[in-house]
Amino acid sequence: MVKKSGITVKDIALIGMMTATIEVAKDSLAFLPNVELVTLLIVLYTLFFGRRVFLAIPAFVLLQGLLCGFGLWWIMYLYVWPLLALLTSLFRKQTSFLFWSAFCGLFGLFFGALCSLPYIVLSGPAAALAWWVAGIPFDIVHGVSNAVLCFVLFKPLRLALGKLKNAWF
Amino acid sequence: MAQSETRKSGKKGLIAVLILVVLIAVFAVIYMVLSPSTSGGSKSLTIEVIDNKGETTSYSIKTDAEYLRQAMDETEGPTYEGTESDYGMYVETVNGVTADYDTDGAYWAFYVDGEYCNYGIDSQPVNDGEVYTIEYTVYY
Repeated sequence: MVKKSGITVKDIALIGMMTATIEVAKDSLAFLPNVELVTLLIVLYTLFFGRRVFLAIPAFVLLQGLLCGFGLWWIMYLYVWPLLALLTSLFRKQTSFLFWSAFCGLFGLFFGALCSLPYIVLSGPAAALAWWVAGIPFDIVHGVSNAVLCFVLFKPLRLALGKLKNAWF
Repeated sequence: MAQSETRKSGKKGLIAVLILVVLIAVFAVIYMVLSPSTSGGSKSLTIEVIDNKGETTSYSIKTDAEYLRQAMDETEGPTYEGTESDYGMYVETVNGVTADYDTDGAYWAFYVDGEYCNYGIDSQPVNDGEVYTIEYTVYY
């Protein structure tokens, strides 16, 4: 009845909840440079809710733009977070929380490299390389903190989301 | 079978963690190798010392110092000694050669780009590309 466009009312509510929790997680840790829960939440939401996350991510990115202003970083967000969801989908059969901790860590580690891509077009490859290298210490912090946060929170959040999914769907 | 799959998955997790650790080390090395270093300061100066025999010794130095004395102290430029006063140091000896004004009217004259220095070494500002000449001079 409600499945006209393939999206149900439940889906819309779920997408809203995913967007809200990602946004709150992002802003609540914004005072810590490169320490964030967005990666972990997008990974978990992709694992549990599949393609629906590809609607939550643009909503989150748009919200970020509205709250923080549309800078070059916003262009980076447009492809970085969907790429994370895409990569998570590719590895969705993995169950080990160690694997996902390393996966989140690697994503954090390569975050700067991924974000340097627009600079190749804007200022050339040398400038993009310099930009990336200058940010490597922050990328290392990002990678390590992502891995640690996932190591600590993956299991309890997976349990909670599993219960939620069973009750809802 | 499920146990074997769990073991396999755990093994993959360990390999992924190992890859993460190795890549963190690789990134750290890349940063150390490619990040720009402060190559001894942003100002390039030349200091020439013309001693009592008319021989010139030249020093090319790089510094972030604001004043000439600081630049001479921080780098391997000429050695100097002198007397401290309220107006800064009065330089008497450069590279071991002492100019004694009381005996024969000799003193060390300081020039910036060929112009006589208006300040002592403590308050002479240094700018990129300048040439300082410290010349043994006898006042007749």
